[in-house]
Amino acid sequence: MDIAIFALKRLASAIVVLFAVSVLTFLIFFAIPNGDPALRLAGRTATAQTIATVRHDYGFDRPLWVQYGKVMKQILDGSIQSYTQHVTVFSQIKRGLPATLSLAIGAAIIWLIVGIVLGVIGALRAGKATDVAISTFSFVGISAPSFVLGSILLYLLTYKLRIFPPGGYTPITQNPIQWAEHLVLPWVTLAVLYIGVYAQVLRSTVLDAMTTDAVRTAHAKGLSPTRVMIKHVLRVSLIPIASLWGLDFAAVLGGSTLVVESVFNLNGVGQYAADSVRSLDVPPVLVITLLGACFVVLMNAIVDVLYAVLDPRIRTTTS
Amino acid sequence: MRHRRTVLGLGLLALGLGLTACTGASGSSSSSTGSTANSTDKPGGTLQVVQGTSPDSLDPQFSYTTQGAEADDMVYTPLLQYAVKSGTAGTQLIPGLAAALPTVSSDQKTYTLTLRPGLTYSDGTAVKASDFTHAIERACKISWGGKSFYTGYIAGAAAYDAGTASSISGIKTDDSTGQITITLTQPYGAFANLLAFPSSAPIPSSTPMKVLSNTPPVGVGPYKFGKIVPNASYQLVKNPSFAGFKIPNIPTGYVDTVNVTKNTNTNTEAQLVLNNQADIFDPGDTVPASVLSAVQSQAKARYQTVPLASTYYFFLNTQVAPFNNVAARQAVNLATDRTALARLSSGSLTPGCFFLPPTIVGHQNGSCNGADPNTVPSAADVSKAKAMIKAAGLAGTKVTVWSETRSPRQEFCAYFNDLLNQLGFKSTLKVIQDTVYFQTIGNQSLEPQAGFADWSQDFPNPSDFYLLLSKAGIQKVNNENFGNVSDPKIESQLAALLPIPATKLSSVATGWQTLDTYVADQAYVDVYGYQTAPKFMSNRVDFNKAVFNPVYYIEFSTVELK
Repeated sequence: MDIAIFALKRLASAIVVLFAVSVLTFLIFFAIPNGDPALRLAGRTATAQTIATVRHDYGFDRPLWVQYGKVMKQILDGSIQSYTQHVTVFSQIKRGLPATLSLAIGAAIIWLIVGIVLGVIGALRAGKATDVAISTFSFVGISAPSFVLGSILLYLLTYKLRIFPPGGYTPITQNPIQWAEHLVLPWVTLAVLYIGVYAQVLRSTVLDAMTTDAVRTAHAKGLSPTRVMIKHVLRVSLIPIASLWGLDFAAVLGGSTLVVESVFNLNGVGQYAADSVRSLDVPPVLVITLLGACFVVLMNAIVDVLYAVLDPRIRTTTS
Repeated sequence: MRHRRTVLGLGLLALGLGLTACTGASGSSSSSTGSTANSTDKPGGTLQVVQGTSPDSLDPQFSYTTQGAEADDMVYTPLLQYAVKSGTAGTQLIPGLAAALPTVSSDQKTYTLTLRPGLTYSDGTAVKASDFTHAIERACKISWGGKSFYTGYIAGAAAYDAGTASSISGIKTDDSTGQITITLTQPYGAFANLLAFPSSAPIPSSTPMKVLSNTPPVGVGPYKFGKIVPNASYQLVKNPSFAGFKIPNIPTGYVDTVNVTKNTNTNTEAQLVLNNQADIFDPGDTVPASVLSAVQSQAKARYQTVPLASTYYFFLNTQVAPFNNVAARQAVNLATDRTALARLSSGSLTPGCFFLPPTIVGHQNGSCNGADPNTVPSAADVSKAKAMIKAAGLAGTKVTVWSETRSPRQEFCAYFNDLLNQLGFKSTLKVIQDTVYFQTIGNQSLEPQAGFADWSQDFPNPSDFYLLLSKAGIQKVNNENFGNVSDPKIESQLAALLPIPATKLSSVATGWQTLDTYVADQAYVDVYGYQTAPKFMSNRVDFNKAVFNPVYYIEFSTVELK
């Protein structure tokens, strides 16, 4: 029962957050100095009458709250259209989503696996040359902006050595081999940053776990080092990694793929968002922001509820 | 369990890498952008075009970008169109769907044309004269970016646009004879140019009054649209019926299909063409400096820079200090190092100092105000300019230079800001976001003193440029005459030149040159160059045969595979 109330409270707060995000995103476009959408849509040589007609046709002459209500209604019934291209926003998102999901899921699997492997090795070889090498790799990965790393990989492995194709996306349903071919470099580019973070976080938590009483007792009981590592160290150490992964994955889907998509021309949702922001096209930006926020809020809620299930103290404190 | 999943994940990754290694980047991909040009698909072949920006729309009555016009030019032949030729010859108007150039009444307010007989759209529907009216009304109704050209000059168009009339009274058509008569509100010489917009091309009168970006209407042209993925790619497929119309001087096309795909990474875009994995680099993009040397050395025979009708200049507000003083304007014109600015553009700018750009009637080369833009090293004279500012008592005057964020425009303005400080002004740079830049400097309440400006032709007519320096262009908001130039001499010359029909423009070339020289002498603007565009193609294409038209850039119907 406590869990149900807790979940309902989280749901209610999620709705408030989404409402706030939608209002803020909507207002930002009207707060931009000289950002009048009617002026942009009417063209550079537009007369005062043309601007007035455009303003009326698009409803920009209505009060802000009416415009907000109209836009939200169109979002909910799926009919919302881009101002600059006049295509349904959801059709564009549907077109770009497979590329974005393929990129995000693939990269998330890579960074989780490689991050865990490197984190454990780093902890087990703490202070030795391997640990130093992994730490160095991690910091380089964390520091390298994805557009730099992606461009370098493209230059070396595509333009020079011609191992990988020059960007673009092929649907998995069309040709799974080409799907993988096109995504290897974007996966690596996106994953490297997170691999560094995960390796360092896990190294630290594993080192902490290895010095706990429970682990010392397990060793004293004569359990094999592998068994101790898996049952007593990793089990504890991976809990923060799991929640971190959930939130990072949500953040990636919420917009972090943007740069990688542009560098590798994946033409996904991130790229669509970037194009829309550049042209100050309110509807797509609003929809993509809301979807991103939904995903982040949802993942947050799931993590919170899971934590509450795992640790009753959180439930009590929150209520 | 978790351990097993890990192994599976690594296995999948290894499989992906392994498959990639096995297949390599053979270029056999059929991806959205990375596809290799395949020379043997069909008899006429398939052309692969890459572009950094998608058309805003393919709907001819909505699209208002170069990329959109490039595509629509192939699908929608207007009543008049530009000769399918390179250079200045490509700005000449020729009959398109009209049987001949228009007959203009003696008061230059009535244009009469007649449709060619037997025309059909690509779906087989017969073309009617009244379809022209529908196209113009539709452009007004769905807010085409250039609709002010129609509402400003066609009688009754403004009332139709405002919703006070049910049709445009100034357009009369006769479907039985194919005659179209258009009445203007005032003489407007460039009106024939408006008839050459793809937005003026007839479309079936059943076409709904809403933007059709996914499914543009059918047209009459050498190609028709195939598969369209908005914001990603589109396909042009040869229209078999077009050749049957035998319209003189309009090519019917060589290749069977043109695949145009978006690639946001211009490095990749250029590499694809350099490596012959794509056939045409979109002229709307700039070949990145990092690839340019490779292009110039490895693909010299298939790369060329083409001057465009696009002027780059610094506007100087003639209504506020210090540029309300002609000495100040002449000084900055004298001191501007145009060759240095061309270098900042990585070769995408040709130095120049006259307002009218190449391919536009009235354009001239040479020096202005003692500064010769073509001299290397530059003839810019900073010392003399500094003395002029001092003598005018303007040293120390505060100036704000407005700039966009995007490169190289910001670099141009940074240079200009430094120059003004060198000359003795106290100048600061104000950089604002590209999307709202022109609206911001077009807001008169801000009184912008100087900054970046450019103008690319809507159509190849000097009147399109002189709107920017005429009294009519001054508005409180959305101002395009950023310098607020209001000179009776300019106005009187424009009054004589503007009514001359576009088909007779060459007869008044000297008049336009005289006006342009006067503007340079008065230094109303600080022009520093004209934009160039790359004509860059793969070695599969007959480079010399492919026409780069100054209005619609690459004419796909002239591109032939070897």
